[in-house]
Amino acid sequence: MPDALLIARGVEAGYGSRQVLFGVDFDINEGEAVALLGANGSGKSTLLNALSGFVRPRRGSIRLDGMELAGLPPHRTFRRGIVQVSQARDLFPEMSVDENLRLGAWTKRGDAARLRDRVYASFPRLFERRGQMVRLMSGGEQQMVAIGRALMSEPRVLLLDEPSGGLAPAFVSEIAAIVAALKRQRVTMVMVEQNLRLALSVADRILVLRDGAVAEQRGGNADEEEIVRQIYL
Amino acid sequence: MLALLPQLVVSGTSTGMLYALIALSMTVVYRATTVVNFGHGDMVAAGAYAVFVFGLGFGLPFLVAMALAIALLFAAGFAAQRMLLQPIVAGPHLSLAMMALAIGYTLRGALRLQWGNETINPSRPYPQDVYLFGNVVVTTDDAVICGSVLLLLAALFLLLQVTPLGKVIQATFQSQRGAALVGINVPLFHALMWGGGAALGALGGVMLSLITPLTPDLGQWTLVQGFAAMTLGGFGSLGGAVAGGILLGITEKLLGFYVNTVFIEITGYLVPILVLMLRPQGLFGRRAVVRV
Repeated sequence: MPDALLIARGVEAGYGSRQVLFGVDFDINEGEAVALLGANGSGKSTLLNALSGFVRPRRGSIRLDGMELAGLPPHRTFRRGIVQVSQARDLFPEMSVDENLRLGAWTKRGDAARLRDRVYASFPRLFERRGQMVRLMSGGEQQMVAIGRALMSEPRVLLLDEPSGGLAPAFVSEIAAIVAALKRQRVTMVMVEQNLRLALSVADRILVLRDGAVAEQRGGNADEEEIVRQIYL
Repeated sequence: MLALLPQLVVSGTSTGMLYALIALSMTVVYRATTVVNFGHGDMVAAGAYAVFVFGLGFGLPFLVAMALAIALLFAAGFAAQRMLLQPIVAGPHLSLAMMALAIGYTLRGALRLQWGNETINPSRPYPQDVYLFGNVVVTTDDAVICGSVLLLLAALFLLLQVTPLGKVIQATFQSQRGAALVGINVPLFHALMWGGGAALGALGGVMLSLITPLTPDLGQWTLVQGFAAMTLGGFGSLGGAVAGGILLGITEKLLGFYVNTVFIEITGYLVPILVLMLRPQGLFGRRAVVRV
């Protein structure tokens, strides 16, 4: 069996004197969709931030295609292909949809137009609103822009932090459809998601984090009730 | 009395262009790092002294001396951010402001060490002529300052609005985390903006040296005017900084002539007080609402 695309071993990380991750291990294969589940404070977002370079791991190794990423700043993990869609979306609010998307591929100048056409084909609603300033859009539309912007760089691994967080139910199902489409396109994904139904519907595998370490790994067809028990009990 | 109004507006605009340039350079640093560079006035003063040293000290032509002064201050701003601010960037915001102040005082101290309280009157690199437009007198200084600042503003506008680099700069101004998420090296960006801000400030210093005697305390006065223009235009607004600077220049001339000459000195102090009390977001800033 070939080596996994993304391999984490003994990752420890935290903020100041507070340690959040206590030795996280996992493997993620190319084209796999993995959901990171866990109670509040279990370290899900910290783990995503450690993968993308926003939090510097204190110990451990994160390897993408055999290349060490632990300790690299965000702009360098991005160039290696780890691209995050953050919980707050962190878009450029005074810019149009089109400008936000173009900036997602500013490191690949020649390819930007082709990539943008591909994103618009996947998100027709963004094409309709391509000239609209992002701060004037709804939360669900902004989330689409954030995912589209991340896809503009053709990520090796897409990190999604609560893609359905704070959205109206109509948008949750729309975002679920988008994530499912990404899975069909074999985009490698690591997703933190509070909405268990959404997470279970798209994940090939589930990692349950508890007290800053992986407590359980399951296949994506796991029983929802059992997972809830794993997370909270 | 009213016959002099156009003249006062022209003179005020010329001074205001200088304030605009200084406020703009402060705004660039503020937008990039959210730090008000309290040492910025001294960087402007250092730019004024640098052109004097390169010009008179080394005998270089004025334009070469100016280019070197701007390059030197760019390097100084870049290095200050990299070596002194970046290491403490994760600390409290106040520490960054204090460090900026300390950098300014160090520059001022260095100027004092060399020139003490000596006042220097650099000579202009062009003959001082006057041009009459009806009853309005425009000096060569006015034309040089307004022309240079307008050219610079046009270049900056094109850079920000038209070029891909400008889009990257604007994006990082709007969301630093968002910028990092699309692969922008934000710490390097901070250093470049500190360098860019210092270089713009140095150009302001060069212009200032055409019309004002140099003393090591020049930076203090410069900071007050720049801060007042920023506040008037709206903190963080690039266009606001320019408009605020021009308005400040005109206002101090009008108040100085029609009310009392003392206003020429104190308008820069009064403006931030009045603006913060009456319209804290300034003319072009957006109102910030904090829920408690």
